[in-house]
Amino acid sequence: AEVEETLKRIQSHKGVIGTMVVNAEGIPIRTTLDNSTTVQYAGLLHQLTVKAKSTVRDIDPQNDLTFLRIRSKKHEIMVAPGNLAFNFICKASLYLTA
Amino acid sequence: MLVFHRHSIQEETEDKRMAANRAAWFLLCWEHQAAQAALRPPPPCRAARAGPRRPQAPADPTLAASAPGRSAPSLSLASVLTSVLHFLQERLRLPQDVSFENRGRRCDRSKNGAISLTFPVFRSWKRGERRPLHQAGSAGAVALATGGTASAEGPGRPGSLQDETLGVASVPSQWRGVQGICRETKSCQTASIATAEASAQVRKHADAQVQTEAPVPVTVLPLSQHDTSRLTAFLRRVEAMVIRELNKNWQSHAFDGFEVNWMEPQQTVSCLHTLGYPPAQGQGLHVTSVSWNATGSVLACAYGRLDDGDWSTLKSFVCAWNLDRRGLNPQQPSAVVEVPSAVMCLAFHPTQPSHVAGGLYSGEVVVWDMSRSEDPLLWRTGLTDDTHTDPVCQVIWLPEPRHSHRFRLLSAAADGKVLLWQGAGTGQLQLAEGFALLVQQLPRSTKLKKPSRGETEVGVTAVAFSSFDSSLFILGTEGGFPLKCSLAAEEVALTRMPSSVPLRAPAQFTFSPHGGPVYSVSYSPFHRNLFLSAGTDGHIHLYSVLQAQPLTSLQLSHKYLFAVRWSPVRPLVFAAASGEGDVQLFDLQKSSQKPTVSIVQTQDGSPVYCLEFNSQQTQLLAAGDANGTVKVWQLSTAFTEQGPRETEDLDQLAAEVAT
Repeated sequence: AEVEETLKRIQSHKGVIGTMVVNAEGIPIRTTLDNSTTVQYAGLLHQLTVKAKSTVRDIDPQNDLTFLRIRSKKHEIMVAPGNLAFNFICKASLYLTA
Repeated sequence: MLVFHRHSIQEETEDKRMAANRAAWFLLCWEHQAAQAALRPPPPCRAARAGPRRPQAPADPTLAASAPGRSAPSLSLASVLTSVLHFLQERLRLPQDVSFENRGRRCDRSKNGAISLTFPVFRSWKRGERRPLHQAGSAGAVALATGGTASAEGPGRPGSLQDETLGVASVPSQWRGVQGICRETKSCQTASIATAEASAQVRKHADAQVQTEAPVPVTVLPLSQHDTSRLTAFLRRVEAMVIRELNKNWQSHAFDGFEVNWMEPQQTVSCLHTLGYPPAQGQGLHVTSVSWNATGSVLACAYGRLDDGDWSTLKSFVCAWNLDRRGLNPQQPSAVVEVPSAVMCLAFHPTQPSHVAGGLYSGEVVVWDMSRSEDPLLWRTGLTDDTHTDPVCQVIWLPEPRHSHRFRLLSAAADGKVLLWQGAGTGQLQLAEGFALLVQQLPRSTKLKKPSRGETEVGVTAVAFSSFDSSLFILGTEGGFPLKCSLAAEEVALTRMPSSVPLRAPAQFTFSPHGGPVYSVSYSPFHRNLFLSAGTDGHIHLYSVLQAQPLTSLQLSHKYLFAVRWSPVRPLVFAAASGEGDVQLFDLQKSSQKPTVSIVQTQDGSPVYCLEFNSQQTQLLAAGDANGTVKVWQLSTAFTEQGPRETEDLDQLAAEVAT
């Protein structure tokens, strides 16, 4: 359906390694990575997202987290938090592979 | 049994007296007869029933009828008589010492109770029979006999009847002694009882199990219908933002050239420790091999000589230093093992931090446990038909194919054999598999210079295993050509060498040779096709497994090269030990022609024989030289931090396979 199409579009973007959708408890709903990696990322990044959100809110109560990017030596991880339920995690490579 | 005619007490005193005398006399006679009977065997019952033969017989039937033994009835009879006599005496108020005479017989009873009888003895002897004098009282029966015998008169003196007075026959009374004597202890003893103890033990065991719950793997939730609409809405909102950010990534130059270092960068390579063992150095031994243990904190080195001839009886040492310990004394190793033959190579066990295997000059393979200070020897091959006949050049621990936590030992030597040993229970290493290299069985992928006739072995000088494919290994040979081999080779080796396990020919591919024997090969831990080989021509060849010609060839030294190793952390870095006394570090990313860093180990130019990277503490590099010292170098961060794109560069390098 539309969900699949959207995910497929993002996945096929230049340089994207994998995407996943995580619900409010940190349980992955949709993923294109393998199971163990998905579970690991979901657990770790969910906690980080919650922490980042609370940090932004604490600094300014009217503010809110819109996007979170973690850039490492090898990859970049992008997290788009949802209002209520979902988070979107995208892992992108930093280098263009042929 | 005893008929006692008791006179009435009411009679006159005279009559009483007479009667008492008569009674006493009778009693005494009976006592006497009883004593006599004690010494005579009791007559047979028939004769007794027939009637007494002799005038003294009346007591005998009673005796005979009731006598199971000789002494007991006479005992009782005599004692009874005596007691009756005493009773009578008391009742009749007879004086204690009484003596009366009756027809020539005299009976005296003295105060102490001894009764003496004197009576005329009629000389009617039976022929051959003695008539000894008796004394009543069975306690003295034997004494009586002896006493009597001594004083008996000899028989066979015929003559007329004469009255004679014989000696006093005194009969000691048993009255006083009756309580004390006549005690015979009879005891019987049963046979000793043999006892045996046997016990059985019943083993009770109870099974208790503890199981933790396996963590429930978090699986991806299937989405319900209700949530799908919410998910759709969310994704619609988010998608645009994500795509925008992704595009920004590709177009952004914000992070160009931005590199973060979290640790203090170290610019230079410095020597951390200089370790040596003075007794070995005093003997002029070289360091032939170094090895780091499984935890990366213990460094072991083997002493021997590499320039020996064909035979050597040199003793050598294996020394281990624990570098993480405080108070490390560089001249005193934490463990030293004396070995009767020179150790040519060392390898620590991959998981056991204290087990180290060594290959000896004599061809043996030995495993020591360095944590045991007395008798560290764990296993040895011994000198059997299976062991190598030449010095062992390399030992490697390999995981068993099915049990990956157990390890076997592979040894390679110059006699052309590559053997796999298994530790058996008795401390003996047993041959599990074996391979033999023969010139005739080498694959002809490269033209070798001198194909020889006959079954010539190919001496093996170096072994390296692939970390991607556990059965694939590269052998360096004395002929200078590396060989690609496999543990799974099936072809039987045509060798005449005796072996308990059939030897196989492992070679599958021959690479183009060096100018001299290959002393070291090293397989890249990052790429499945690349390996390095270093030979005595001073060149390093970088080979790809796919082709016979090397990809690149670098000349590092004008002398021999003894060791080459890939770095375990940086895909493009390797180190080489040269005969000129320096360790050269190459970074192929920076320069592919000349070494990035050249560490001078020995001041006098004596060769460096061995080097090893520490896979746990990746900045450490150990190198041993001909002076007997081992130096631990700390590498700069340039050599330990993996830079970006290294793996890709390596792939690129490997892809330059000549078509």
